[in-house]
Amino acid sequence: MRIYALAVYLFLYIPIGIIALFSFNSGRAASQFTGFSVQWYGKALSNRFVVEAFQTSFAVALASAALATVFGTMAALALQSVKGRVRVAFDALIYIAVMVPGIVIGIATLIALVTVFDWLNPLLAAIWPVAEATPQLSLGYGSLIAAHGLFTMALVIIIVRARVAGMDRSLIEASADLGATPFGTFRQVTLPQIAPAILAGFLLAFTFSFDDFIIAFFVAGSKTTLPIYIFSSIRRGVTPEVNAIGTMVLTISLCLLITAQAILQGGRKPTKN
Amino acid sequence: MTDKIDFISREKFMAELMRYKKGSVSRRHFLGVTGLGLATTVLGSAVPGLRRAAWAQGNIGDRVVLATWPNYHDPANLDAFTSETGAAVDMSVFGSNEEMLAKLQAGGSGWDVFVPTNYTITTYVSEDLIEPLDLSRIPNYDAGSFDQRFAGPGTVDGVVYAVPKNWGTTGFAVNTNHTDGKKLTTWKEFWDMTMNEFSGRTMVHDYQLTTIGNALKYFGFSFNSIDPAELAQAEKLLIDAKPHLFAINSDYQPSMRSGDAWMTICWTGDGKQMNRDMPEIEYVLGKEGGELWSDFYAIPKGAPHLDAAYALINFLLDPAVNAKEVLFHGYPVADSRVNALLPAEILNDPILYPAADLLSALEFGAAATLTDPNRAELMARFKSA
Amino acid sequence: MAMRPQYRTALFLLPAGVWFFAMLVLPLVVVFVFSFGERGPAGGYVPAFTFDNFLNLGARWTAFKNTLTLAPIGTLACLLIAYPLAYFLALRASPKLRTMLLILVIVPFWTSILIRSYAWIFLLGGRGIPALLALVGLEDLRLINTPFAVLVGIVYGYLPLMVFPIYVSLERLDKRLLEASADLGAPPLRTFLTVTLPLSMPGVATGCMLVFILLMGEFLIPAMLGGGKVFFVGNALVDLFLQSRNWAYGSAVAMALVLIMLVTVTAYMRATRRWAGGRDEVSLM
Repeated sequence: MRIYALAVYLFLYIPIGIIALFSFNSGRAASQFTGFSVQWYGKALSNRFVVEAFQTSFAVALASAALATVFGTMAALALQSVKGRVRVAFDALIYIAVMVPGIVIGIATLIALVTVFDWLNPLLAAIWPVAEATPQLSLGYGSLIAAHGLFTMALVIIIVRARVAGMDRSLIEASADLGATPFGTFRQVTLPQIAPAILAGFLLAFTFSFDDFIIAFFVAGSKTTLPIYIFSSIRRGVTPEVNAIGTMVLTISLCLLITAQAILQGGRKPTKN
Repeated sequence: MTDKIDFISREKFMAELMRYKKGSVSRRHFLGVTGLGLATTVLGSAVPGLRRAAWAQGNIGDRVVLATWPNYHDPANLDAFTSETGAAVDMSVFGSNEEMLAKLQAGGSGWDVFVPTNYTITTYVSEDLIEPLDLSRIPNYDAGSFDQRFAGPGTVDGVVYAVPKNWGTTGFAVNTNHTDGKKLTTWKEFWDMTMNEFSGRTMVHDYQLTTIGNALKYFGFSFNSIDPAELAQAEKLLIDAKPHLFAINSDYQPSMRSGDAWMTICWTGDGKQMNRDMPEIEYVLGKEGGELWSDFYAIPKGAPHLDAAYALINFLLDPAVNAKEVLFHGYPVADSRVNALLPAEILNDPILYPAADLLSALEFGAAATLTDPNRAELMARFKSA
Repeated sequence: MAMRPQYRTALFLLPAGVWFFAMLVLPLVVVFVFSFGERGPAGGYVPAFTFDNFLNLGARWTAFKNTLTLAPIGTLACLLIAYPLAYFLALRASPKLRTMLLILVIVPFWTSILIRSYAWIFLLGGRGIPALLALVGLEDLRLINTPFAVLVGIVYGYLPLMVFPIYVSLERLDKRLLEASADLGAPPLRTFLTVTLPLSMPGVATGCMLVFILLMGEFLIPAMLGGGKVFFVGNALVDLFLQSRNWAYGSAVAMALVLIMLVTVTAYMRATRRWAGGRDEVSLM
């Protein structure tokens, strides 16, 4: 059993080890080790396109995850008291949003937005008072956030709803009986109970958006996210700079995870839930 | 050389001077049409300090987005551009003209400069995707020093939309360590070897023009054929060959160099680059013919950093820079000023400048192949087969 | 906040509803409409009403076949490799190490799948594993650009997604049941088959569905490790939109893919619901 687990971990980490190894290569090749150097880390960090791609990915992931979490949680809470056609419609939408492949979402969003923009841009130009300053609708941050948020909002709804369903409703009733306002009840009773689910949903949404390539590939317009940057670096011919980027992202996420784990464990109450 | 006259007549010159004095044309326009701009640049490139001053004239922003082909630029030149102008080059690489066209058609590509091939430019013009060039902003472009055969397609209906980058041929590269001394000379041998001795070792481009075109050559048809019956035969060959291919990819250098692939459809410069480092990899032009091409620098409609786009094109057309590019990537240029700077062994290199009989069999790509729905769908079917 | 409850409910549902409409319903309707259109003269789309795109779907048969065989096989391979690991983590690993080991399973997921697949191009290429195998006499083995390479990439990419739900369901399982089974004299294998396995089914079902859904739309792994020779529907779609520029036909292929997924996933959910003991739905997390 233990040997088996070790083998799986080796399978998971040998490729990552190779990536990390070549990030310290002094030569340009990503497959022939010629000497030790950290120059590619310096190059990656001083490359404005890498830094910007990282910022774009981070901003998009943060915005789409935040919006998806807020709207998804609101919807999950509201759906508790909804029956009939609206409920069926929402269930169907959530189901489809989770099931339709990202590539179809990317393509569909692209052609729908291009069609809508082709139609709206002349209209805008016609009605805009200042001809020179007419805004042009185009793909970019907006389409990235909206397209990423779609899938992750569905995810948040599913996660939060599962938690809401398992929630102790007697507490809510008790709170209402004691004269608390609905908002007060929400803040003091509901929220603490569903907080872990919201947090999990947010983290999942952030990760999904940050790592997504295929949807962004279609809807990013002229914006470059980190996965798109990496994709085009690989096409340009890989240099160890890409390995350095990958190793840094890995190290940062590993540190964050371990810190988060330490905080959670340190703050955990002795009682079991 | 052509008989096109690059210097304008005296009457025209005076008329332009009057217009300039009246203020109805800009200084840039005046210098451009009269050729004075050119004179100042020629002077400028002779005196390095002067040229740098010209760059510094305006702030061109901090970036320029370049869409180009694999292994097609000397990174040192792009770095030099950045240190001279402050604009970093954001380069992305494409494997076919179709891919570039698709990206531009979808809109919002964000590109400033792209590198289309001769036969695509009329389509870009008719689709309204390409910006007419203001030649006064590319003083390093001297139309007179370019071979018209390769520069001509950049001009559509008298308007210059693109200026020449490099020209070259599409042949194939073969690793002779695996051929048992046999010399390959034809496309017929290319495909026959692929399906026999070289099974699992051949690569073809992810590019309909060259992959379908050279399959057509197996039967002796035109590289540019859009005849359904001829295309059907080419498709059958491609489908038969598919299980024997190593990969379908326009960036074949890594696999050829690592030894995973032994033969590939190949462009001049890639052939040169591989042959330079690994002499056993030889570049072959099929006797039946194939493609002769010319690539251009062009600016797409709506380029977000127009000043930087012009600055980059101008920089790369500087004969001294361009000569360095050639030394790096091994593609010939049609600019006699650059050739004057190149060493003799490059100018006599049979990979760059094939023998006349091989060259005369080649065809330029035809615009119809880019838009023909059957060729596009044939390629897509071949890939998903 | 004095507001009638039904208004509040409507207000809470509004943002999500608008979002679903604008980013899901509307785009899918556009794809549906486009799928009856024609390719423009230089590519793109021109309005028309024809069924040709659907009648021509057979031209992508191989892509559909590859997807519909490699997605289930990949899911199964993930499951077979993930289950023992999840079992080990939940029931055998020392509690001290467990969290650390669990983190180590997720971490690869945080490195771009692109870079991880790139490492496999090197490993499966002629200078990687085949060169090692040649040392022990297995000459001329080709791995890269084969369905096997794509399968390796799939397992590598999606293993963490499978381990997690199974781990969660095994970890929740009441250990006393296992002890009781052992006390009653059941051999370990029997305990596993009659107690552990059935109780971990919800996790298995969730993991399989997650991986299967993602694999059906896969593009990157076949593109990078298949060398353009192992084509999924996702690759055919990218090709139709970003090379041959046939938006109308591409829309029809996309519609077909969505339809196939609707049918298979719904059938799968029905089957697993019965299987997993009448639970309301297979939860995704």
